[in-house]
Amino acid sequence: MIDNLLQAAIIINILSSMIRIATPILFAAMGELVAERSGVMNMGLEGTMLTAAFIGFIVAEKTGSLGLAILIASLSGAVMSLILAFMTITLGVDQIITGLALNLLASGGTLYWFRLDYAQTSLENTPLVDILNPINLPILSDIPYLGKIFFSHNILTYLSFLLVPVIWFFLYKASYGLKIRSLGENPKAADVTGTNVNKNRYIAVIIGGLMAGLGGAFVSIGSVERFFPDMTAGKGWLAIVIVIAGNWKPGRILLATLIFAFLDAFQLQVQSIGVHLPYQILLALPYIVAIIALISGRARSNAPQSLGIPYHRD
Amino acid sequence: METAENKKPRIKVEKREHASPIAQIVALVGAVALSIIVTGLLMYIGGADIKAGFIALFEGAFGSRQAIIESLVKATPLILTGLATVVAFRARIWNIGQEGQLYVGAIASYWAYLQFNSLPPIILLPLIILFALIGGALCGLIPAVIKAKFGVDEIIITIMLNYIVIYFLSWLLSGPWKDPNHYYQQSPSILESAHFPILLAHSRLHLGFILAIVAAILIYLLLSKTPLGYEINALGLNPTAARFQGIKVVKTMIIVMLISGALSGLAGTGELFGVIYRLKSTISLGYGYAGIIIAMLAGLNPLAVVPVAILFGGLINGSYYLQTTTNVPASIVYVIQAIVLLFFLGARAISLYKIRFIKND
Amino acid sequence: MPVNNGMSQMINPKGSTDNSSVVIATRNLTKRFESVVANDDISIDFCRGEIHCLLGENGAGKTTLAECLFGYYQLDSGEINYKGRRVILSSPSVAIKLGIGMVHQHFVLIRPFSVVENIAMGSLKSNILLDLSATEKKTESLCEQYGIKIDLHAKISQLSVGEQQWVEILKAVYYGVDLLILDEPTAALTPQEVDKLFSVLQQMKQQGLSVIFVTHKLKEVMEISDRVSVLRRGKLIETAYTSEVTQESLARKMVGRDVVFKVAKEYIAAGEPLLETSNLTAPNDQGQPALRGVSFTLHKSEILGIAGIAGNGQRELFEVMSGVRKLDSGEMLFIGKNIANFSPTQIKKAGIAHIPDDRISEGLIMDFSVADNLILGRQRDKDNRKGIFLDRNHIHNSAVGLIDSFNITPSSPTNRTRYLSGGNLQKVILARELNRDIKCLVANQPTRGLDVGVIEYIYQRLLELRTLGIGILLFSEDLDELLSLSDRIAVMFRGKIMRMFTTPGASLEEIGLCMAGIDGNCRE
Repeated sequence: MIDNLLQAAIIINILSSMIRIATPILFAAMGELVAERSGVMNMGLEGTMLTAAFIGFIVAEKTGSLGLAILIASLSGAVMSLILAFMTITLGVDQIITGLALNLLASGGTLYWFRLDYAQTSLENTPLVDILNPINLPILSDIPYLGKIFFSHNILTYLSFLLVPVIWFFLYKASYGLKIRSLGENPKAADVTGTNVNKNRYIAVIIGGLMAGLGGAFVSIGSVERFFPDMTAGKGWLAIVIVIAGNWKPGRILLATLIFAFLDAFQLQVQSIGVHLPYQILLALPYIVAIIALISGRARSNAPQSLGIPYHRD
Repeated sequence: METAENKKPRIKVEKREHASPIAQIVALVGAVALSIIVTGLLMYIGGADIKAGFIALFEGAFGSRQAIIESLVKATPLILTGLATVVAFRARIWNIGQEGQLYVGAIASYWAYLQFNSLPPIILLPLIILFALIGGALCGLIPAVIKAKFGVDEIIITIMLNYIVIYFLSWLLSGPWKDPNHYYQQSPSILESAHFPILLAHSRLHLGFILAIVAAILIYLLLSKTPLGYEINALGLNPTAARFQGIKVVKTMIIVMLISGALSGLAGTGELFGVIYRLKSTISLGYGYAGIIIAMLAGLNPLAVVPVAILFGGLINGSYYLQTTTNVPASIVYVIQAIVLLFFLGARAISLYKIRFIKND
Repeated sequence: MPVNNGMSQMINPKGSTDNSSVVIATRNLTKRFESVVANDDISIDFCRGEIHCLLGENGAGKTTLAECLFGYYQLDSGEINYKGRRVILSSPSVAIKLGIGMVHQHFVLIRPFSVVENIAMGSLKSNILLDLSATEKKTESLCEQYGIKIDLHAKISQLSVGEQQWVEILKAVYYGVDLLILDEPTAALTPQEVDKLFSVLQQMKQQGLSVIFVTHKLKEVMEISDRVSVLRRGKLIETAYTSEVTQESLARKMVGRDVVFKVAKEYIAAGEPLLETSNLTAPNDQGQPALRGVSFTLHKSEILGIAGIAGNGQRELFEVMSGVRKLDSGEMLFIGKNIANFSPTQIKKAGIAHIPDDRISEGLIMDFSVADNLILGRQRDKDNRKGIFLDRNHIHNSAVGLIDSFNITPSSPTNRTRYLSGGNLQKVILARELNRDIKCLVANQPTRGLDVGVIEYIYQRLLELRTLGIGILLFSEDLDELLSLSDRIAVMFRGKIMRMFTTPGASLEEIGLCMAGIDGNCRE
């Protein structure tokens, strides 16, 4: 009987953690989906999330207001994306190198600023901030098992999952969504029917940045109480992989995100039980799975045709 | 939208195919100037007197014989990762896996050291170098094969591999290769017989530097003077035409990644056997990514990589000195590197534009 | 008002000074791209209710002018007057609002979207929710009006090239246009589809539509236009009534000198079989079957033309011939030797040279020097090497020789290939390919986009090769070219050779029907 309970408790823990872990990746992936559907690949997604994680932490630490922190973090994501948009869309710089440069800027910049503010403190003693409290949805969170798994998370998590149908609706049922998608497939076709290609690509990329910012905010103030350098640990890259593995479709992206999140949650749980597997394998697992996912994809068939190609008239 | 006749001169911004040399120079100067300004700003934010900061940077980099030599030491791995990037990028293969290839080179050569360290240095050292090249090359082979067989872009594969390699190293260093006498994840010290020979007394300048310079010359010869280099350049400039005119795309791609990985592997081994003398997870302080920046700034020219890498080595050195004299964190060097790259990219793009004034009749 | 070259008829059509009959006019329109003046001081009146052709060779500036009239390009100087008032067409949306529509030379359709979605693209402003029903209804009625039959819910990628052309046209006229600009709309149409297009245009003209029709085909000008403006190297040469000109006079204006229409081809009996293929099957890039059993024999001293609408397997057949595409099955014998699935290098070594249709993407490395491009594919040959290094001296010297004998300008071998004109680029490719012992030449659209002078040169060389015993496989979308040069013409349709014509005696109409798959002999 206790055995069963323990089993159930573990599974519930894993699944609940899965939902939680999925949150930042889902934010980033949904944002990246919008940007890529307009034809722009944000290789600086990792750096964008890291920047937002740091900014969110700093604002929370200095002002004590989590709401403000989330807002500013999201905006910082938008600013990073704006830089990328300017360099790739307006100046026509290669998207890959620009993204890389932004990643380096974020990782170096956040490290520098962090050391400036907390130079004397060791990692253990960096200040803590409040994190978001879980909001237990009335009635729903009382459902046995499912309640704890799905309905007892903080607001950012609910928001991230809500984004999936919202983005789906936006892309396929809204006029503007059709426009965005046309930019990624054949920007000249959009241009000659009166759509301003570059302006709308900017908008798509900034929307992506806002969402990546929310994801980054979650990584710091939404889940742990502190910031440490490079804390996004490849989540941005996973989001990019997930968009590809999900074949640029919201539903598939959600599925892929949950699979990765499950692996991560599983790894955490397994560590705490004390299974004798080198923990490094489990840490490396998402990246290995990512490679396998990319290889085995019947995916990529839905890739926006003009992805990564800057547009100009002459 | 109809407007009345307009007599004001209009400004027109045109984009050209290639920048004029003057525009390029102006752009370069602009990028450097902006980088200096932003660096000064960062120092100011860091609480330092700007002038003292720049002096410290310069002195730490090139202010004394010792500083210069130490900058060369810092530049050694950067030259190699820079070359690794040049070879790959020339073929338009976006290898971002220099960090991982660097570590695999170090791992492979350390393994060789463990097997062969009873041999005299004259045999041991070449073996170490050989295994470094093999290890790095194998790590570079993986994304090449994946791309050839499955058509998956190398960018993401190489980045994923970077993470995987780091975790693999962590396992090695906390398990089979752990130093029993230490708390940190690191290997035991390396026997002196396996140390790379020091080139200049009382300095840390080691064999790796010579290897790096030799590599630069070899890569230059490869790319400009051999048929393989011709094919690499052709592949990067026009992969379609290359394929149509008989250049074996897959074979070339694999060779490129083998060479690129091997060069990064050598960088890792140089640090391991030339400077740090034990295997750690911090052998590379972002040398792989710095190599990418260096390659871009050098315009993908293998010979130009050397002076640019030395400059960066100086920058790293200088930032340590900066930290000790002004309390500005040494990690400012990472920000400076990224800023320089961004400004350089922006300046290069802007130099393609021409402003023309158009008068209406 | 200034008069161009003393030959043109300016401004108003003869006998009429009524400005309200002009729908759109350009005054001293100039458009530059870097140092190239694409349109140089052009002034043309386009009249209401007329079909006005813009005629010129490739590179004359026709498309540039058309795109200026659509607001896609911005003028450097000069002005555009629309319905009597000066307008600045800062973007296509401005032009569309004014009632100008354009059908582009290369389709601007969104392949994964349906026909309705593509047409709806321009009218999305007001609604937040995507509502395609209104668009669908209106498009249906347009189709009825003009007798166009298309599945509106099909994705563009599922439509044939001809159907896609109709979608382009529907898109352009959807918003109620007064002026329709068409840029080379017949490039991908069978002769029968061209007739249908022309009748639809006439129908629209009766309803008051004005049409500007860009083309380089003289026949079309004579057939459909009321007036024609000839452009040459960016300048307007003449605007005239079509009824008052002949094809020859137009050709002369287009080129600047007398043009020889017929190619002097002497009769040569075809020699022994050179290249024999039987039942070639191969997929296209999407994995669909592109070649479904191609069989033919090419003989020595023979030019075998391959005709067909683009998309029926010609590209894949060319790629198989050049070794770039692998066969699924079938046999390929070259002088008795099996060459099926040889690599490009092996095929070249066997003595088969090829000229790709996209010279810039497939044939040359633009950032290489001319000398380097002349050894492209042969960089590992013993001649070009000195040990493990390239023999730069030898490469340079042989380049000098080739440049001289093929008359390539500019003449320095170290020039970046990027700066050469289209004709010279093609000469570089020719020089390279013919610079070895070849027995067979496979050429894909070798004269596309080139000046008449270079075209004549290429025809000469091809006929020379034929006289020397070389067999030539000539892929071309230009039926006149095929009829002039080929000894036999094979028409491809849906991945097979439908019918083989012998040229003296083959008619354009028959070939056109075959290209569309319509013909008793051609039915599968």
